[in-house]
Amino acid sequence: MGPCHGRVALVTGSSRGLGRVIARTLSEAGADLIINYRQAGGRSEAQARALAKELVERGSRAVAIQADIGQKDAVAAMFQQIGAEFGRLDILVLNAARAPFKKVGELLKRDLLELVETNYLGNVYCMQQALPLMQGRPGHVVFISSLGSRFVLPSYPLGSMKAAMESLVKQWATELGERQITVNGVTVGLLKTDSLIVLRQYWPGVERLPASAFVELEDVARVILFLCTDAARSIRGQNLVVDNGLSNELLHAAPGS
Amino acid sequence: MPEPLISQATIYRAVQTAIGEALQISEEKVTPDSSLIKDLGVESLDLIDINFRLEQDFNIVMPRKYLLEHVEELFGEGTAIDSQDRLTGAAVTIWNARLGSAGAAVRAGMSIEEVPALVTPRTLVMVVEEILATCPATCPACGKSAWTVADGRTITCGQCGASAPLQAGDDVIRQWLEDFRARGGLTSSTP
Repeated sequence: MGPCHGRVALVTGSSRGLGRVIARTLSEAGADLIINYRQAGGRSEAQARALAKELVERGSRAVAIQADIGQKDAVAAMFQQIGAEFGRLDILVLNAARAPFKKVGELLKRDLLELVETNYLGNVYCMQQALPLMQGRPGHVVFISSLGSRFVLPSYPLGSMKAAMESLVKQWATELGERQITVNGVTVGLLKTDSLIVLRQYWPGVERLPASAFVELEDVARVILFLCTDAARSIRGQNLVVDNGLSNELLHAAPGS
Repeated sequence: MPEPLISQATIYRAVQTAIGEALQISEEKVTPDSSLIKDLGVESLDLIDINFRLEQDFNIVMPRKYLLEHVEELFGEGTAIDSQDRLTGAAVTIWNARLGSAGAAVRAGMSIEEVPALVTPRTLVMVVEEILATCPATCPACGKSAWTVADGRTITCGQCGASAPLQAGDDVIRQWLEDFRARGGLTSSTP
């Protein structure tokens, strides 16, 4: 029996990329899963449904729910559905992210609103809605951050939101400490997901970095799983860097050298 | 106009392949006027993937920003999109002048959210064509006029082997907008 047996987990933005791997990992550890995606009618909806179907076929409970976490009403509706179908929530992984890829000086008001709505407000909305469903039991929350919170990446204003996120981790951890709800962050390094498709357009040569510069999705997911188990109950308000050591080194050989 | 080095048909085939591979769908589902978003289910990350594939194909840099984002940056916020996220009259004038022939239609008051759905394979072909058309008459490295398309996709100098110095997609759009303003295209749209 897996360490998350009988627990209910929501992973925001889990139709593709890292979120998808986290959802699958938690499911394999025994959790029932809510797969969340933002856009109705597109590819991510199809992928979210396919993942839910796959998890159900493997004997887990799983549903896919559409909600743009940046919209307060949509978040409320999603949690209402979770409450109705599962009656509880034990694990919340705040993975969804959305951002324009522009220099800070080029951000229009719409870009700024998109940044703040999804990556800051959206996570707060989710926490506020999740807490009543986590009432009376230990729970685990993991925020997914990135090295952009500490280092400048080209055309990556999302980094500033990740820095805010890492601060929120400490605030929530303190506020919820008495409730036995752990809140931690995982600061992820370079991943070979859809995010690399974006990154390689703004960071020429990134795809030619040595394999050691990247961290495996499954490795990140296993750390998140650990943070969502009782074994990690005394880790509170920490942002763990999971980057295969990338950020330890100032000097990296240039691609092709 | 001189015969382009790479034909529109070649570009279209590359666009079709890029979309098919990025979305893992049959290329036959892609038609010139398919809405990438509405008909093919493209999301923003997919569009970046499609653009990346075209960049590799033709050794070009596709635009990172939409036309109307450039308008807002160049001519000031509010020029193209009002405070309720609706297109202005100026946005319609600019859009029709630039993309009218590519088939997509916009109207004043339309939500900006609806605009990305207007992107079609035909739009992408036009963008690639425009970038390729920035190839100078002679090679800046050796001064010769001997461009060839060696592998069918990338323009190189037949004399010295240098890659053609093509403008980036965003620069092409900005240049077009500057020219449009210079020839009075914007002022004539002001009521």
